[in-house]
Amino acid sequence: MKSQHKTSISEDMTIYNAAAQKQMLLDALADCDELDIDLSQVSEMDTAGLQILLLTKREAIKANKTVRLSAHSKAVTELLDLYNMASYFGDPMVIMASEHTAVSEGKSEHKAGLYL
Amino acid sequence: MSTANNLPVIAQAANAAEDHQYLTFLLSGEMFAIAILNIKEIIEYGNLTIVPMMPGFIRGVINLRGSVVPVVDLSARFGRGKTEVSRRTCIVIIEVAGSDESKQDIGVMVDSVSEVLEIPRSEIEPPPAFGAKIRVDFIHGMGKVAGKFVIILDADRVLSVDELSMLGQAAGAMPAAQAEAAA
Amino acid sequence: MDAIQQAFVVESRELLQMMEDKLLQMEGGGADPDTINAIFRAAHTIKGGAGVIDCKFIVEFTHVLENLLDEMRTGTVTSDRELIEVLLACSDQLGTLIGCVESESEPDDDINKVSLSLRDKLQHYLRIPSVTSHEVALSGENVHISVGGEMESDNWHISLRFGPDVLRKGMDPASFMRYLMELGKIVHLTTLPDAIPDAIDMDAESCYLGFEISYQSEADKSRIESVFDFVRDDCVVQIWPPHSKLADFISSIEALPEDTMRLGEILIKSGALTRNELDLALNTQSDRQGDPSSQPKIGDVLVNQGAVTAEVVEAAAVKQGRINEKKTIESQLIRVQAAKLDQLIDLVGEMVIASAGANMLARKSGETALVESTSVISMLVEQIRDSTLQLRMVQIGDSFTRFQRVVHDTSRELGKDIELVISGSEAELDKSVVEKLGDPLMHLVRNALDHGIELPEVRTAKGKPARGTLRLNAYHESGSIVIEIIDDGAGMNREKILSKAHERELIGPNQTLSDSEIYGLIFEPGFSTADKVTNISGRGVGLDVVKRNITALRGSVEVESHEGVGSTFRIRLPLTLAIIDGFLVGVGRASYVIPLGTVVECIELSEKDRAETLSRQYINLRGEVLPFVRMREQFEVAEPGGRRENIVVVQYAGQKIGLVVDELMGEFQTVIKPLGSIFKHIKGIGGSTILGSGDVALILDVQSLVALAAVHQNRMQAA
Repeated sequence: MKSQHKTSISEDMTIYNAAAQKQMLLDALADCDELDIDLSQVSEMDTAGLQILLLTKREAIKANKTVRLSAHSKAVTELLDLYNMASYFGDPMVIMASEHTAVSEGKSEHKAGLYL
Repeated sequence: MSTANNLPVIAQAANAAEDHQYLTFLLSGEMFAIAILNIKEIIEYGNLTIVPMMPGFIRGVINLRGSVVPVVDLSARFGRGKTEVSRRTCIVIIEVAGSDESKQDIGVMVDSVSEVLEIPRSEIEPPPAFGAKIRVDFIHGMGKVAGKFVIILDADRVLSVDELSMLGQAAGAMPAAQAEAAA
Repeated sequence: MDAIQQAFVVESRELLQMMEDKLLQMEGGGADPDTINAIFRAAHTIKGGAGVIDCKFIVEFTHVLENLLDEMRTGTVTSDRELIEVLLACSDQLGTLIGCVESESEPDDDINKVSLSLRDKLQHYLRIPSVTSHEVALSGENVHISVGGEMESDNWHISLRFGPDVLRKGMDPASFMRYLMELGKIVHLTTLPDAIPDAIDMDAESCYLGFEISYQSEADKSRIESVFDFVRDDCVVQIWPPHSKLADFISSIEALPEDTMRLGEILIKSGALTRNELDLALNTQSDRQGDPSSQPKIGDVLVNQGAVTAEVVEAAAVKQGRINEKKTIESQLIRVQAAKLDQLIDLVGEMVIASAGANMLARKSGETALVESTSVISMLVEQIRDSTLQLRMVQIGDSFTRFQRVVHDTSRELGKDIELVISGSEAELDKSVVEKLGDPLMHLVRNALDHGIELPEVRTAKGKPARGTLRLNAYHESGSIVIEIIDDGAGMNREKILSKAHERELIGPNQTLSDSEIYGLIFEPGFSTADKVTNISGRGVGLDVVKRNITALRGSVEVESHEGVGSTFRIRLPLTLAIIDGFLVGVGRASYVIPLGTVVECIELSEKDRAETLSRQYINLRGEVLPFVRMREQFEVAEPGGRRENIVVVQYAGQKIGLVVDELMGEFQTVIKPLGSIFKHIKGIGGSTILGSGDVALILDVQSLVALAAVHQNRMQAA
């Protein structure tokens, strides 16, 4: 029977927390065979944060373990999309219709701002 | 191997007192001293190989545990004639600065070694401007021991590799007797 | 210096050497993408390494260099002689900067000034083409069309490699992507996480990501480039316009991080192929399952489908091969500190002596079993000795190739056109010999460049090709290595040498000399036939220094010359300085060793000969005149000799002489111990060794004894 573990990240996944989160996730992975990372509380994510997830995923594959990302927050989804890495993690992402529009709207607002 | 008959070897611990410690030895009846920091060991005289065409004060070479070490006759170096070999003759192995910043071992042939003395700095006078029987630049200082002066030698000067090799070159070009006189 | 810094220094020096070789190659007309790429990668790796050891002055300097090399790679900057000169100067400067790392010092003001001026020059090249880049690319298409067809894609291709400090500096690659999206449309983006190191080494605050982006935009190249203005110093940015040439994609493939990637993945990531095209190809490949050998290679399939052209597949395959190759080479080589090796060789030397001692004792004891076992040990020790010495053997090639640069620089300086041809690079010799060979070799090469090879117009006037040739050649010959420095220059004027020798009173007025003796005169101290002193050689340091250095290595140097045709300098050196086979002889009470390689034969000096030799300095050896040196006299042995004397006939560089000794004691394996520098001027003795008994025996320097005999002979003939 494989040991499962569920962890959730409650802070932003940015460079400020990256070192601590790297350690936390690698430790969590070491203690189990299947790690589920809840990302619902991640309200901000940057490339450093993404790298930590990539590293964790790769370490898991190396050790023949499983890492699942779940409950991606908007920030996470956006970055994964931008980097075209969603398929690398291969986890189902729930994209809410409202969120989706919010993203597009955000973009257009941004654009508008730029052209003003 | 025969060179292993070591006489008491002076330990080289990093000891502050060593700064003021000197080995005294006899050269044609006169006492000299040399700082023990430069001294690696003292061995019995023997198994010397003569190197031809060298000035008389370079007696030859010995095998010191696999290294070939030249042996200098200090008495001859000071122009006092060759040291006669006796039962008490020793070779003091001294480390000197080589020509290219490397360290080099040189053996010094002495009539006999006496003792290790502590001579505090306050008891050491600068070399006399004249009147010494050997070259002034060979003298590190005059140590006062029991009311008498002992010449403390400057090993790096006395055994200057550059100078010795130059004298060796001169000896190769002219008869040995002349070279000795020149030294 | 810690281990990482040390590794950086060693590796960077190798890379620099490679870079220099390639730059010189480029100057020779080889500005192909492979060469430029190799140079770029070298600079890139050095910069990366400098980043690892946190050496800012190298990172800063290399960064600009790397940018320019990158532009050269993409073809926006084309190389010319002048640019290559600047790049060579940069490679020199990098060497200096690495020297600073080595000596753990910061570069001083002088060094910094050079860095700044070079960076300015590089910037200058970088700036000019950026204005006209579009034009260059367009016109380039017609010129370079032979490299391969155009890509069918309408998209720009952007390749990004972010440097480690990007995140720490408060920049996020994501923001650049977003910015790109404002200028146009990201058609496809591949994130390359391959550079993320192992978990332990991964620094959570460093950026390791690279990106390959297919991009659609109406903006021009400089506009797209400007997106990355903020990260210019921390990101390798490559941008290919739509319809770029295949060669560029090939270079893109080569520049990808060096991880093992499947061919298809590489092609997808470089934008040459889409995932769909690959999937289709993969299906075709697996459709023909069965005998694996008949299974078509994925590359072939792709080409057949027309998805990519053969050149692109080939570049990717080469890259794949290189990755694998690199892995095997890495596992085959071990870096060992030279000092450790020296210590091992010293110990083996001691062992040879000890084993000889044991052998002697065993023979004295007369116990057969003991004699047998000690002789087995001796044999093994000999084998260990040979294999140990083999460890120090290096090919001479590297010391030859560094002259490419010397020839390049010097011939430019002199206004000559000279080609360096190297052969025999694989000949091996002891590392310590190689190290000491550098200076004399440099001297001879410069001598040939300066005095040997003529100016192009002089050559043409003489009916020679305008371009002169300097050859460096090496080969093994009976336990020695022979190195030749051959030029096809003016050669030496025999009469000029003779008159100079008379003028300097190097030879007597009536002396007759053979050709080789005459040419040999140029190695005499203070001899120089050069009419004018130039900057290159003739700085008052004559060929006598060369001879002295070579002689100090127990070698010899000779010259052969034909006026108008050229000169050949030939250096002969022992393969190793550590151990020789010797022949032990007795003179008086002392034992001497003669290097066995020089011994031709041993003969007893007959009563008749002895009587004759008292009056003359030669004997009749089977009708041949053999001059000899009486070792007793030479070494001023005082004690009277025995009743018998022997002659050991030795030969050096073709000349035979006899050494008169008292006793012949047989062959002896000899570990050479240097005689201290006190004895550096001694003539006739080359070193020392320790006998099995523990006594020191001196090794005769046959070469100088031969020379001595020649002097005797000349004096006699002159008298």
